Amino acid sequence: MKLPNWTREPLVHFVALGAVVYVALTWGGSPPDPASRVISVGASETEKIAESWTLTMGRAPTDAELDQAVDAYIREEVLYREALRLGLDESDAIVRRRMVSKMDLSASLAAETAEPTEEMLRAFLEENSELYANHGTERAKVSFDQTFFATERAARAALTRGSDTGEATSLPANIEAIPLREVESRFGRQFALGLGALEPGADWQGPLQSGFGWHLVRLRDRVVQPPDFETLRGVLANDWRSAQIKARKERAYEVLRSAYRIDVDR
Amino acid sequence: MRQAWKAFSCASILVIGVAGCSGSEPDVSEAQSGDGQDTIELAEFPDRPYWGDTHLHTDNSVDAFGFGTRLGPEAALRFARGEEVTATTGGQTKLARPLDFLVIADHSDGLGATRRLYDAPRWYVKWIIGDETVLRWYDMMHESPEQSTRAIAELITAAAEGNIPEAFADPETANEGTKDIWNTQLSILDRYNEPGVFSAIAGYEWTAMPDGNNLHRVVMFRDGSDRTRQTVPFPGIGTAAPQLWEYMRGYEEETGGRVLAIPHNSNLSNGLMFQTTMEDGSPMTAEYAALRAWAEPVIEATQIKGDSETHPYLSPNDEMAGFGVEGWEIGNLSLSQKTAPSMFAGSYARSGLLRGLTLEKQLGVNPYAFGMIGSTDSHTSLATGDEDNFWGKHTGNEQAYTERAAAEQNLGTREGRFGWHYLAGGYAAAWARGNTRAEIFDAFARREVYATTGPRMSVRVFGGFDFTAKDWDGDWVRAGYTRGVPMGGMLDDQGAAPSFMISALKDPDGANLDRVQVIKGWIDASGEPQERVYDVVWSDMDARRKSGGKLTAVGDTVNREDATYTNSIGAAELRTTWTDPDYKSGQQAFYYVRVLEIPTPRWILFDAVRFGVTLSEDAMADAVAQERAYTSPIWLKPSS
Repeated sequence: MKLPNWTREPLVHFVALGAVVYVALTWGGSPPDPASRVISVGASETEKIAESWTLTMGRAPTDAELDQAVDAYIREEVLYREALRLGLDESDAIVRRRMVSKMDLSASLAAETAEPTEEMLRAFLEENSELYANHGTERAKVSFDQTFFATERAARAALTRGSDTGEATSLPANIEAIPLREVESRFGRQFALGLGALEPGADWQGPLQSGFGWHLVRLRDRVVQPPDFETLRGVLANDWRSAQIKARKERAYEVLRSAYRIDVDR
Repeated sequence: MRQAWKAFSCASILVIGVAGCSGSEPDVSEAQSGDGQDTIELAEFPDRPYWGDTHLHTDNSVDAFGFGTRLGPEAALRFARGEEVTATTGGQTKLARPLDFLVIADHSDGLGATRRLYDAPRWYVKWIIGDETVLRWYDMMHESPEQSTRAIAELITAAAEGNIPEAFADPETANEGTKDIWNTQLSILDRYNEPGVFSAIAGYEWTAMPDGNNLHRVVMFRDGSDRTRQTVPFPGIGTAAPQLWEYMRGYEEETGGRVLAIPHNSNLSNGLMFQTTMEDGSPMTAEYAALRAWAEPVIEATQIKGDSETHPYLSPNDEMAGFGVEGWEIGNLSLSQKTAPSMFAGSYARSGLLRGLTLEKQLGVNPYAFGMIGSTDSHTSLATGDEDNFWGKHTGNEQAYTERAAAEQNLGTREGRFGWHYLAGGYAAAWARGNTRAEIFDAFARREVYATTGPRMSVRVFGGFDFTAKDWDGDWVRAGYTRGVPMGGMLDDQGAAPSFMISALKDPDGANLDRVQVIKGWIDASGEPQERVYDVVWSDMDARRKSGGKLTAVGDTVNREDATYTNSIGAAELRTTWTDPDYKSGQQAFYYVRVLEIPTPRWILFDAVRFGVTLSEDAMADAVAQERAYTSPIWLKPSS
């Protein structure tokens, strides 16, 4: 059987399922009062339980199924009220943590699938320009020659002599236009930081320390592309999304918090 | 009003779980959503190892969610790319160095099922799913993190015993749920995929475990989402490996794409991963061997749940065997069956490679001509491989659980495995010409990849027949590629001993190297498999002479009080040209390289120092180790 296209629309799923769940969850009536020791399952409650069953299962429950559902409802209600009475919802750190994370989760879900428009991203870049100020430097492409020495003394001596002959190594002698983060991956963090601080020129400089030893370096070229919108677009969209999730959590919290008066003795 | 709001928020959760966002197309460039071909300039030869994890679980994995993870694929990708993430149990974390590629490998079975289950209202579970076991798990998941972990342990045991409730295994529901999550995941991958910077590669885990014997594979795609959207993850429950390979072949035929499978945790397979027969016990056919060789060019030899290179029982003359074996060797994944020594040969990589040679002799095809990688198998969405930044196997043993090293970590309810048996996890290194989905995949397909137990040492191997020490003076990489083959390659016997150019550079931000070894496996004249470990180059070669055929130990600088070491021993680089001294004409053989670091603290020692916990005597004895790399082999084939 081929279903019409509209049945595949997420919006239709959303409305239909939302309706089902809304009905299912509202049959319980008003929230339980933990102080009350009365649980009433009258004709109207039973009817709601049966309705909900019928709606979701596509058939009416048998008497036995209905009895079971009512029993389950009562059992849950009794234990839930007792738990509230004992203050488990407040005193149990695990319950508290679970509830908090569930609230956070529901606030962030919509943002995970949202698609930002170009205007939104441009605005985001403008607001957060300082975050991307270094983007160009991090991705700056460097070209350099390096020669290796096991000790700092040997490297300095070679520099003084004006010699560029180092010791044998499997490290590449000439590097052509690779991003600084690749330099870090091959030579280690310390070397990449050192290289970032040098100015390009025709002379041998250093020595710079790496994870392997010491290097004289001839930094031939460093190309820094100023960050522009198009190259940043993907990064911006991802950062925007994660900022949205964070903001939604905060906004949801602010709305809830504004209903409280909070006194803190400091 | 309160009730209405609650109903609405639950409705949103359910709908997102059920309908996902299958309709929306991602707003990314073609370069990002494709396989990366022709998007960046490529080096002439592979220029450096690219680092990645091909085996990471997020909250879409049934067990990971149950264990408590609340971080999804988005957080996983941000973390792998080097950004700071808040772990599920709190605590900011970041990789010291970003990874170059990531395969999110969530279990195909019940993809997203526990997340959907957890988010569903209780009445739904009770009346619509209507399975008592599922309802009990639901309640346990909501009760406490400890109970939730127990529920998932039960679920894994049930899967191992083939007792998964139908509600979980129902193909129709599962398929719809799987498809939605898969498509959403592919969109997220495209968003974080950036040719030249980071490859977000599509994949999943096929989780078959008959009787609790681990036969899991990670399935990894080369392609962009235009092709991967045409498939859905293949279920592991109720299927066997040949069916997975058929599915893979079907995918390639239908889409023109490429896919491969990476077996892992052979150490927990009770001898079933590298059998000499087919699954049903009948003799292996050439067709089966060829299909397997095609589908599985690489295995994952090391990860959090132990190391599968070899076992001391199989390699009694290898004093460095036995890393990451303790605890894992006692039984299969669910510990439903103990492991007998006779099973080891089918459970470890080295013996698997040897069996491959024997089978090749019989069938003309080697089913086990595989390369090796490492990965994490982390279930926290955090691809951490470093000892000083271990975030646990799953959220139940993240850093918030400071006693985790001592805690029992049995998946089932039986005894014998403890937190300290976990390794911090490994990484995969791929020699590629650039960082794109296609280039990384192709490195895997030609086996030009290697495994490390976490550190990022650079290991390069070329095999040929005329390499000499002089080659190091010139452009030795070009020499390697033009006059020989790189790791993963095949050499045809030319009647002379093969020679190898081997270069190992330490992790630039890590520990020095102790030694480089060549491990040779071959079939002798009487048809018996043989293995031998050669120390080919080591630090302080003059001072550390061999006595009785064994090299003297490199030493140990680890301070047990503060979990530090110094690079005052070992070498920053070790390289050599080595010619097989025991070559016999016509011999079938493989050669792989193992590189050992000097001893460094394991994660449990960092835990002990940071959290002030006292390790048991057993754990303390295993608090320092020599981390290592295993390269893919080079095979020597008799000339036909």
